[in-house]
Amino acid sequence: MELRKTTVHRVAEAVLQGEITAHQLIDITLKNCGVLNEGLNIFTAVAGVDASEQARAVDQKIKQGKKLPLAGIPVVVKDDLCYGVLPTSLGSSAFSEFISPVTATAVERLMDAGAVVIGKTNLDDMGQGSTTLSSPRGATANPWQAERTAGSAGAAAVATGICMLAVESDSGGALRQGASHCGVAGLRPTTGRVSRYGLNAHCSSFARVGVTAFSCENISGVLDIISGFDERDAATAVCRDGIQENIKAPGSEDITIGYPVTVFDFLEPELREVFEQARDEFAGHGYKIKEIELGLLREGLQAYYVIALAEASSSHARFDGIRFGKTGAADNLHNMYFQSRAEILGQEARRRSIFGTFLLGKGNYGRYYRQASKIWQMVRWEFEGALKDCDLLMLPTSKNLPRPLQGQSSFLDQWSDDLFCAPVSLSGLPALTIPAGQIEQHPVGMQLVGPPFSEKTLLNVGSASEHKN
Amino acid sequence: MKYEVVIGLEVHVELLTRCKLFCSCPNSFVPEPNVNTCPICLGFPGTLPQMSSEALQQALIAAVALNCEVALYSYFDRKNYFYPDMPKGYQISQYFVPLGSNGHLMIKDDRGENNKVVIERVHMEEDAGKLIHAPGSGASGSTSMVDYNRAGVPLIEIVTGPDLRSPLEARRYLEKLKSVMQYTRVSDCKMEEGSLRCDANVSLRLSGSQPYGTKTELKNMNSFRAVEKSLEHEIKRQAATLERGDNVITQTLRWDENTQETIVMRGKLEAQDYRCFADPELAPIKLKAEEVEKAREALPEMAEARAQRFINDYKLPEYDAGVLTASRSLADYFESCLKLYNNPKEVSNWVMGEICAHLNNAGLDAGQCPFQPEDMAELLKMIDDDLINGKIAKEVLEKAFLSGKSPRQVVEEENLVQISDHSELEAIVNQVIKDNPDSIESYRGGKTRALGFLVGQVMKATGGKANPQLVNELLIKKIDG
Repeated sequence: MELRKTTVHRVAEAVLQGEITAHQLIDITLKNCGVLNEGLNIFTAVAGVDASEQARAVDQKIKQGKKLPLAGIPVVVKDDLCYGVLPTSLGSSAFSEFISPVTATAVERLMDAGAVVIGKTNLDDMGQGSTTLSSPRGATANPWQAERTAGSAGAAAVATGICMLAVESDSGGALRQGASHCGVAGLRPTTGRVSRYGLNAHCSSFARVGVTAFSCENISGVLDIISGFDERDAATAVCRDGIQENIKAPGSEDITIGYPVTVFDFLEPELREVFEQARDEFAGHGYKIKEIELGLLREGLQAYYVIALAEASSSHARFDGIRFGKTGAADNLHNMYFQSRAEILGQEARRRSIFGTFLLGKGNYGRYYRQASKIWQMVRWEFEGALKDCDLLMLPTSKNLPRPLQGQSSFLDQWSDDLFCAPVSLSGLPALTIPAGQIEQHPVGMQLVGPPFSEKTLLNVGSASEHKN
Repeated sequence: MKYEVVIGLEVHVELLTRCKLFCSCPNSFVPEPNVNTCPICLGFPGTLPQMSSEALQQALIAAVALNCEVALYSYFDRKNYFYPDMPKGYQISQYFVPLGSNGHLMIKDDRGENNKVVIERVHMEEDAGKLIHAPGSGASGSTSMVDYNRAGVPLIEIVTGPDLRSPLEARRYLEKLKSVMQYTRVSDCKMEEGSLRCDANVSLRLSGSQPYGTKTELKNMNSFRAVEKSLEHEIKRQAATLERGDNVITQTLRWDENTQETIVMRGKLEAQDYRCFADPELAPIKLKAEEVEKAREALPEMAEARAQRFINDYKLPEYDAGVLTASRSLADYFESCLKLYNNPKEVSNWVMGEICAHLNNAGLDAGQCPFQPEDMAELLKMIDDDLINGKIAKEVLEKAFLSGKSPRQVVEEENLVQISDHSELEAIVNQVIKDNPDSIESYRGGKTRALGFLVGQVMKATGGKANPQLVNELLIKKIDG
């Protein structure tokens, strides 16, 4: 069974009907794992025995008559999401053997629905970045072009067919850029739709838990399962009385897509061409295209980084070597902090922590953090305004092709890759990235951004465009 | 005095709640370390705080009880600093928008006049854990351990304006605050157990001058007495400094209970930069105006008002009213007794005397009193009915208090019913007269005190159960013939 050519629904049906047991399916998957992962560096941990046990448990439940909608579906989980059985490295070498006492709500819900976690995937230093270049285990290579980064290891796992779904975090755009670079679909949901419990967020204001899959249809198949109220995450209170979906009628003639003209000035000509083609295809399919302005992307990117760095300096303060992670040997408290944090945080995480400490310091809070908070609000208004006249917006996902594994790119260059993703994070709106086209045999994605809880509309539009392509 | 004293207090009060502020761990004292902990209050990666509505309700009650304006929209901030007792590396607190502000408490100043103490803010925050320093094998010869049982326990911080003018006023403010917190059941305010902690800011200025002097901060006071003492000490120190022509320096001092001195902890340069910002993991606190009003209306009658009512309605002396209203549970106990036995002064005597003594000995609060108001009424009725005398009643009360039995049961089991039977007593009286001819002689010679001795002899012979009035009558009748 080639996982890329089928759907979550079909595979789960096959398992439920007994055409294949979950155990057999996971066995094959695990065997493929080794081959397909070769040279890519996708995993921080492969489940192995645990995955087989999970699969047997699923088979057992099916025997008892349970209709598990994700029966036997192999998933991978980004390693900043806690799963209490496998180590959760959080993107730190000091946590490579850390078994978390909690399991992320999204992971728990997928497993309850019959999915099987086959491994944890690579990530940047303390989960901070959209390239995996700062990972303590080295970057994950792109399955399309091994000399470039995958952006996200979960997307690479999906693209190679190792698994059907990847559960990943997205703060400034890691999930979306990874999906874009690997030619798959990825959804960053509306604020509060999916519980963040169990995610070690460096920046809780923007960190969301989303899903990457080979097709929009596959994402649709799990969205409801991982969505909804969770008393352990205050933000999900918006779903306490159920989710008020914001669904637009499926007919393409009824949907207006906002096309932010100014945005495309930021792009290299060949990338720009891809988006113009995508726009024309949408128009060809009957969607109304409306040219709009989004003037605050650069400011949004800057505001994102001010807030993200400030929050990281605080959120990562808990890594003091006292309760978890490695404890640095020292003869006094100050040195113990110094040693422990040096072991836990890598260069990127340290850089962000130091910058964030500065940004919140006396005299700087007003100058940077408060200003950034104002821009955050302005960006929200700008997106709200744009969506008054359109049903959804199209935006590039990444400004570049993925970064090369070798060769130098400064941290500022890497941060600026989030130009189109980070402002969407500020908006709090759902964003779906889907393949838009290719440049030199390399996939390029685009984002569809809609009003709160419009994920199903986005997925419908995305799905239609996949089939027509 | 040449200088005017200016004092402001920052008081931390532990809220009485079932759970901690952001997790479901019990908010209770346990001696074993790190038992009341979970991944949330230990700050494990991936966990998120879950706001306790119970703690919010308690904080709201505190804010309205302290006459505060309540913010209908407030939120939590992170106060960042590294310390091992702080599991997340930051404390979740309300820095930018406190739940309550601009409140006040009235106290009596040194001249007995009313002084309005402004309460600048009442805000919610989480407590830290506790460091335990033990001699051991560490490189520096000692080991430090952390107990996180207290980490995440809900606190409110209550900050006054610079409105207190003497150490005595500071003490009165604390006593008033404690009474309000206890009456509203917001906190038990036991300073020795740390459920009330107080830091004091103090400065001096020339009497009649406007600008405040440089202040110092005092910490580590373990009792109201220590607060008063340390302030007195610090005022003397500052006055002496000024008298020498020196300047008071901004610094934090620690009160040393053993030496009764203040010791410098840190200077201004070492002041922390807490880098506060809104916590992104908690939803803002939204209250409705009606909820606040409801909390205001539901406030109980406070100590002063209750004492006044006891004086007016029950005609109790001011002293009795003060003692009985010192705690809400004692006042409640007293009034419950009154409902069953309507003799305020009589009940007051028993509650202030016997009940308070036994509660004290047992280390119990009046709310936990094993001798119930029903028992009190039963006991007093037995006295009225001449079933027992007052002396025996005290004995009965003690036995009932300790055993949990009803007074009637104690009286019956121990056969303590008063002897009021004429013939039975007459026999004993005759015997006593026969055995004490000297006393009869003295009595007849005009020494009336001898009668008391004879009564005592009869009581002794009956194990205290004789009806003392009847014995008196019988003796006089017999001797006087």
